[in-house]
Amino acid sequence: MITRILTDVALMSAIGGILALIMVIAQRWLSNYGEVSININGKRELKVTGGNTLLSTLSDQQIFIPSACGGRGSCGACKCKVESGGGPLLPTERPLLTKEEMASNVRLACQVKVKSDIHIHIPESIFNIRRFNSVVEEIIDYTYDIKGITFKLIEGQSIDFKAGQYVQLESQPYEKIKDKVIRAYSISSKPELKDRIQLIIRQVPDGICTTWVHKHVKVGDKVNFTGPYGDFYLRDTEADILFVAGGSGKAPIKSILEHLKEVGTERRMTYFFGARTRKDLYLSEEMQAFEKVFTQFEYVPVLSHPETEDNWTGKTGFVMPYFKDAIRDPKNTEAYLCGSPGMISAVTKSLKEYGIYEDKIYYDSFG
Amino acid sequence: MTVLGDIMKKTPNEKKILAKMQPGIITYGGFLGTDKRSYLQIIADDEKALEALGKTAEEIADRLEFFQQKSFDSFEASTVVDDTWEVETEVVRGYLPCPFLHQGMYRKSYTTVKNLKSKKSFTFSALNIHLIRVHHFFEGKNSHFRMEPADLLKELF
Amino acid sequence: MDISAFVLFWAAIFTSNILLTNFLGMCSYLSVSREIESSAGLGVAVIFVLTVTSALNWLVYNYILLPFDIVYLQYIVFIIVIAAFVQFLELLIERYAPALYYTLGIFLPLITVNCAIFGVSLFMIIRNYNFLQSIAFGAGSGIGWLLAIMMLAGIRRKLKEKMVPQGLQGAGISLIITGIMAMGFVGFSGIVQIQ
Repeated sequence: MITRILTDVALMSAIGGILALIMVIAQRWLSNYGEVSININGKRELKVTGGNTLLSTLSDQQIFIPSACGGRGSCGACKCKVESGGGPLLPTERPLLTKEEMASNVRLACQVKVKSDIHIHIPESIFNIRRFNSVVEEIIDYTYDIKGITFKLIEGQSIDFKAGQYVQLESQPYEKIKDKVIRAYSISSKPELKDRIQLIIRQVPDGICTTWVHKHVKVGDKVNFTGPYGDFYLRDTEADILFVAGGSGKAPIKSILEHLKEVGTERRMTYFFGARTRKDLYLSEEMQAFEKVFTQFEYVPVLSHPETEDNWTGKTGFVMPYFKDAIRDPKNTEAYLCGSPGMISAVTKSLKEYGIYEDKIYYDSFG
Repeated sequence: MTVLGDIMKKTPNEKKILAKMQPGIITYGGFLGTDKRSYLQIIADDEKALEALGKTAEEIADRLEFFQQKSFDSFEASTVVDDTWEVETEVVRGYLPCPFLHQGMYRKSYTTVKNLKSKKSFTFSALNIHLIRVHHFFEGKNSHFRMEPADLLKELF
Repeated sequence: MDISAFVLFWAAIFTSNILLTNFLGMCSYLSVSREIESSAGLGVAVIFVLTVTSALNWLVYNYILLPFDIVYLQYIVFIIVIAAFVQFLELLIERYAPALYYTLGIFLPLITVNCAIFGVSLFMIIRNYNFLQSIAFGAGSGIGWLLAIMMLAGIRRKLKEKMVPQGLQGAGISLIITGIMAMGFVGFSGIVQIQ
């Protein structure tokens, strides 16, 4: 009896084993596409192992094409241009592409398999988005609830961003918080610094990530973030500029100004900063110092609720009434706003009344 | 409903909702505070209290939304409503989802209403208005945004 | 079983259609029959896999399971053989015939778990077919399956413009239609007796 059981099990295992062996050999021989190269935008050449989908191969290389369905070919978000090497269009892609897209070689990255050298084209903004590892280099207290934190990239990484864009910071578990969370913060340092970024982060009451940043992060800690994201960045024109910021909205404007200092500009610029009381003002000397750097720049802090002990002699109330003097030619003025939705809508409304074109008003709303 | 009965009868959905209400999932402090009751019990108890007070959760939500709108109308800066209440809203970047697994996100806006006569003040978020209106949920005892229906009625109407 | 392989082939297509008389292979039949093109692709893949796996399983049964007296393990062994073959085929086609892979290969994973394939392997053992008969039966069953799914896909295309009561939309109406088609096919089952 026992020998019967043993031989049957052995036979069964042998059948399974032989089939598995055949599969393993087949996998080695048939699915080995070796090392292939992916050429992106004709600028960057990646050496990757072939055989996987374009979407997963790129994400292994820290290039994140948007995808909502996770690569099942049902959302159509991962469209990208495959110039050559993508193979024929698949039936699984057809329903999600328009005729024009098919004609211009647009494919779904989650369906295209990387089997040979491939040449693709993706938007520059996506191309630059990556996950970065960094070490906290410096923490500055700007006010009682606003900190400026500098993250130095490690392992020779470098970040390409436009002044005004933001990154998404990953917090680590702490105290009773068991999961990491991801939150967006604007970069406040200039894009010319490619090996580090600074973020200005305000403590939000009960905020999971800001509490972590304010109470737990120390110099030398390892922190990860992805980016850069966002379409709030300086347009390269010669028009006059109005900057309007509130609260921690100073970050992207600081980045833009430092960038302009680096490249030099003759543009006429006015920067309105709205805060409640004097203790909410920060970076004032740095901003005033720009008045000496640029030929035509003015920094205008406006307090909405100055307290008597503030001895505030500057402008008070809302920022809107003061635009009148700052606008020279409304048809040739761009506005860059960063702050709460209420501030953005109020300022936008007012700027339009002054005659500034709506499509020249760029904003980064908290939300 | 006994506590034991509560535990036994939890549906998968209720477990998911309970998980969302824990500290650090949606908000730093969670939605239940130090309350030992189940969230269903909290809702039931507050509904009973409201019935005794003769107001509905919808009416309270309408009132809170009215104050929120007043402060939005003045671009979130502080403003006085009907000479009795000082209202102001603070907005920070981002949105919060509803712990009851509803679709939709609520802006991180925190409106503070201060009754100038009694000097008592309440702070609530856009999510709180939704929680009260749709779920009749005023949060657990000692939760950061817990508001007692009786206090709200006394100070805000 | 004393029946010519040729007759068995035709019988498997029409009078003993694997899908319409045995109702095997329903899942992919219902889900893929939404489009005629996909139905045709899947049908061709089923024909191919059925033919080859019935031959393979016949060999495995007669030269491994019978001599070693482990017939009671046939279910497991048949399933492994089918799964391994389909997987192997997918790898092979993907590598050497990319064009074919894109029209046919993407349906292969669906077939691994198609019960019509397993059913055919079991029938040929139960009915004691010889090697040639098994291949004919396998190929015929595959063509029969293709025929059935193409008919349903055609009808469903017409149905798209028709008003179907809400509760019956999708799988509901498809099953009713399949039932009516099955009645038509069963009517011919007396012509040839294959079991």
